[in-house]
Amino acid sequence: MNVDLLLQSPVFILGIPLLFAFLTPLADKVSKELRNAVFIIGLLLTALFVSLMAYEVYTIGSWTYVFGAEDPTAITDVSFFRITFLADGFAVLATLTIIITAVGVGIYSFGNMKDFDDLGKFYTLFLLTLAGVMGMVLTSDLFNLFVWFEVTSIASCGLIAYHNERGESVEAALKYMIISVIAGLLLLFSIGFFYGEYGVLNYFLIRDSMDGAFIDILAIGLVMVILSMKASSVPMHMWAPDAYSEAPDSITPFIAITSLGSLFVLFRLIFFVFRGAVEPSSIGNLLIILGVLSMFVGVSMALKQSDVKRLIAYLSVSQIGYMMMAVGVGFATLGTADYGAFGVNAVEGGFFHMINDGVYKALLFLSVGGIIYAADTRDLNRLGGLAHSMPFTTFFFIIGGLSIAGIPPLSGFSSKLLIYKSVYLYNPVLAIIALVVSIVTLALIGKIFFNAFLGPDQKIGMKIPRSMILSMGVLTVIIVIFSLFPNYVVSEIIAPAIEALGVAV
Amino acid sequence: MALVAYLFYQMGESSYKKTRLKGDPFISGNRPSKDPRDIHVGGDNLYWGFIHALRKYLDPLVEGHTGIVNDYVYWFVVTLAFVLVFLYLLI
Repeated sequence: MNVDLLLQSPVFILGIPLLFAFLTPLADKVSKELRNAVFIIGLLLTALFVSLMAYEVYTIGSWTYVFGAEDPTAITDVSFFRITFLADGFAVLATLTIIITAVGVGIYSFGNMKDFDDLGKFYTLFLLTLAGVMGMVLTSDLFNLFVWFEVTSIASCGLIAYHNERGESVEAALKYMIISVIAGLLLLFSIGFFYGEYGVLNYFLIRDSMDGAFIDILAIGLVMVILSMKASSVPMHMWAPDAYSEAPDSITPFIAITSLGSLFVLFRLIFFVFRGAVEPSSIGNLLIILGVLSMFVGVSMALKQSDVKRLIAYLSVSQIGYMMMAVGVGFATLGTADYGAFGVNAVEGGFFHMINDGVYKALLFLSVGGIIYAADTRDLNRLGGLAHSMPFTTFFFIIGGLSIAGIPPLSGFSSKLLIYKSVYLYNPVLAIIALVVSIVTLALIGKIFFNAFLGPDQKIGMKIPRSMILSMGVLTVIIVIFSLFPNYVVSEIIAPAIEALGVAV
Repeated sequence: MALVAYLFYQMGESSYKKTRLKGDPFISGNRPSKDPRDIHVGGDNLYWGFIHALRKYLDPLVEGHTGIVNDYVYWFVVTLAFVLVFLYLLI
């Protein structure tokens, strides 16, 4: 393949979902089969270009793509007003996490949504969300970040409200929209601070210009809170259980991955752009506070849920806390001897947990979607005995559940072990909290398993389509691969991501 | 571990003889219902004691999750104020 084409891959990662988003409704006018084919081709092509970008980053190193330039990949000086994308190890980590979930969810939706009409719009919104979240993690321009942030929010809002015959779905989408509009406007406000102060929007140029002035602190604080809210961090998490539980079952993990996308952007900004302008311990400790709150409150609220989707949604909030706490510990130790001793391991654990979380959370939401599809209820009080009629879904749920609870030898254990060990050296109390939260998470997974799958056969299950089983199978295989080769994942995917942020030891 | 569990299971399975009561669930000595939904103790009954013991912590937490979007924005503003003051004081 032409090397130049490989260097253009960031544009294709954006361009293909955007193009296919608008081809899908046209294909829908012809036939359902053509629409499905166009959708899956768009998704697989995006996955192909993510793989090509990863290959190129791991072989020749990172590069900046400057839009509108005669040779977009040959420019190293970005000191002019143009949109730039950054293809590096961190972008690879983020795009891989997103595309794995997207492919899983996409295949799943063929079966899960087959009884619904008007799926052309559904797939359009799906691909627009994919383009939006990919843009967020690839861009290295603040205003462009705002644009993709808005694209993601608007398309996600449409997906959450897809079942608009249900009042709850519309309500959840309205809440999500209000939260997103406030977040978007304040993000624009903070970008205005940076532009007013320095007259630039590019990450590199802002990084080089920042001097820790009061206006910088104001803008950094705004950006941190906005992205933490979109990542569903406590106490700004309340929109997440509403949105996750009311979105179509096939799309819930994808809404969750947009939250993870916001977290990727937050970590990119604090490590790559804001690092030199602030005292690392201050931002690090803030992340730790938000992370611990998220872990504890998320899992506590999950205890009280009898709606299986809301329960998993609260567990998802709790898992976001692990990543924020681990990366917070790493950031707090930056520039000290502790960073080399354990801080870098905390960041590794946090990043590894992000890719793990993307996969096992998707598997959990999809297997719960299978339960709802088969039993037509998500009330744990009414479920039971589904293992008799749904052995595959039961198996997939066990794999996802044990992984989120951090049970060896699954991948969740590997990332959590890295987090426990490194966080313990920073402050043992944090490690104890993380362990307690993991134990309660296991108990809650046990609750769902016991309620939904065990017990006498209640004859409430019906067969679920093969595409749903296939997608869960694909995600299970990925979890098994991550579980078998955690060292390889850390050395080949996580370490280059840390190096790309300029904080490798 | 799974193999040991399976061997134990097989030992019990081979010597199992169906009688009138064997294999029926035991629910506090009550005669089991014919309806499988009555036999399966699940849902909110699970971990009831644990959750009840934590009610003084959990109940206010649940009440705080009102589902009202004004409260969502309120928490956003509170967090923003906290973060800005925190950063301003420490930097």
